[in-house]
Amino acid sequence: MDALDLARTQFAVTGSLHFLFVLLTLGLAPLVAIMHTRWTRSGAPEHERAVRFWGQVYVTNYAVGIVTGLVMEFQFGLSWSGLSRYAGDVFGAPLAMETLVAFFLESTFLGLWIFGWGRLPKWLHLACIWAVTLTAYASAWFIMAANSFLQNPAGAVERGGRMELVDAAALFTNKTLVFSFPHVISAGLFTAGMMLVGASAYRLRRGGEDAAFFTRSMRTGIVTAALGITLTVGFGYAQFGGIQEGKFKGDTAATPLALMMDVGNLMFFLAVFLMLPLVRFLPRWRWTHRLLMILTPVPFVLAVCGWLARELGRQPWMVWKKLTVADAMSPGLTPGMITVSLVGFTAVLGLLALTDYALIARLIRRGPRDLDLGAAAEERPAPALSL
Amino acid sequence: MELIWYAVFTLLLSGYFALEGFDLGVGLLMPVIGRTQETRDRMVAAMAPFVLANEVWLVAVAGALFGVYPHLEGEALFGLYPLVVAMLLAWVVRDAGLWFRRRIDGPGWRRFWDVTITAGSLGLSFGWGVALYAAATGFGSSLLHPLGLLLGVVVTLLFAWHGWTFLGWRAPETAGITRTGRALALSGLAAALPALAVLGGALPYLLDHSAPASTLGVMGVMALPFAPVMVLAQVWVWRFFRPGRSAVRTPSFF
Repeated sequence: MDALDLARTQFAVTGSLHFLFVLLTLGLAPLVAIMHTRWTRSGAPEHERAVRFWGQVYVTNYAVGIVTGLVMEFQFGLSWSGLSRYAGDVFGAPLAMETLVAFFLESTFLGLWIFGWGRLPKWLHLACIWAVTLTAYASAWFIMAANSFLQNPAGAVERGGRMELVDAAALFTNKTLVFSFPHVISAGLFTAGMMLVGASAYRLRRGGEDAAFFTRSMRTGIVTAALGITLTVGFGYAQFGGIQEGKFKGDTAATPLALMMDVGNLMFFLAVFLMLPLVRFLPRWRWTHRLLMILTPVPFVLAVCGWLARELGRQPWMVWKKLTVADAMSPGLTPGMITVSLVGFTAVLGLLALTDYALIARLIRRGPRDLDLGAAAEERPAPALSL
Repeated sequence: MELIWYAVFTLLLSGYFALEGFDLGVGLLMPVIGRTQETRDRMVAAMAPFVLANEVWLVAVAGALFGVYPHLEGEALFGLYPLVVAMLLAWVVRDAGLWFRRRIDGPGWRRFWDVTITAGSLGLSFGWGVALYAAATGFGSSLLHPLGLLLGVVVTLLFAWHGWTFLGWRAPETAGITRTGRALALSGLAAALPALAVLGGALPYLLDHSAPASTLGVMGVMALPFAPVMVLAQVWVWRFFRPGRSAVRTPSFF
């Protein structure tokens, strides 16, 4: 492979890894915020358990979302400096806003939410998780705006061999943004819903003392998944109105697109016409639980297919009909350099991703007890006893 | 407009050095003063509530670099390719150590991630010295230039001292020293000095290479309404997690 193929592979691998975690973050954040709202209003211990348990799943997943995101952000300068040279004056604005405003606030409020447990006044503590949710959505919006500019360079003109921003409103109301953003957000809800369903199915199938807890979680998950997939499919089809001509002509982009649409439609029927009407019975029907568990990874696969279709369909353009990927690559990037970073990022991020999924699986296996999130102060033995 | 964004950029980078500097310093000191697992737990617990709010300053620096100095962004990051990759990996393993160390009970598991925290902190601190020297020389010098390596050692020691001062302020029993908030502010300023010096020297270059006024204007209009919230959120972090009765809470999530 030459440097270009390697650089594209690096971006695809790190980007897909990043999105697997971001997708669940986007879907779980509002669910955790809703659970926290319920707990704040009722003060009931079972509501607190739900926030702490699903909240810990959420933050455990968040960890790898952050670290893969760091690599994504710096990769533009490392491998694709031609993009910032040509279109940085336009493309840079939404990216800068994402980090400067959205992620900055998201990370600060998440820290306050995690470490302020039991210290912050309860309504302020609740406000923190809602702030995290809103800023996560804002992040997604800015990132989708940046990506949409690559798909359809609206709001900018080329002057003197470089793109210049002439209409900021057009940049942020890009026709390839208005439906792709809600598509991604709803896919996150669908993913988080199916995650709740799968995890609850595992616990209920095994039996045990937390049946009531996971019965509620499964119902929440089913309703969320049905709502999420309905919106995802709707906004998915709506995107075809604004698509670039000839985008899906080649097999490379058309194949993941077809897979996403076929399986996505199947999931829509499954979630809306089977799972939703049976929402009262499924927690008790143990024979369905294995199937519900198997479905958990499906939304992740579909989401990666969606990105592959969107990004492969853009080839060979970095900025549609303006700048090719080959011209966007950092001049002087050698296969040796990119091989070392590709191996390093893939190995480290891949291992961390596997570790993280193992930790989430372990958390679900152990259930809502001995949670780290929101744990009360340790009872330390008196000095005399510890001698 | 160029001058305002230069000020924002300088504030972000020096803020990162002053704030994340003590987190990295605590990470560096873990094998030095954290001989026992319990001491290391208390060291991590002392910095834990600040880390997420501090490291994000560098994320903002990178974003601002892309938005305000798009040309420099490509030049700087690509010019330092191996160093940036190494620093990113150091950052990743440091963060992973923090997030993962308490997820499974057991001394081996936690000790392993404590080592990654220290190794990551060391890689980042040392890397910053080398990167600043390279920036000061216009990315023309070798990454192994003796002066660059020396600056790496200086920044590492500076961060370690800043981290120690932080511990003396927030967890005096663990640090073995007691430091005031004023002392912490001073060590923070000292930690930011290398970044301030390089950015001060680069002022004419940066003003010349800013993004066009239209881009800067749009970003200003969009960022301005959120600036008070950002300041407020950072102030809250310091307000809620300042030392006091049971300031360092264990078990901490990290």
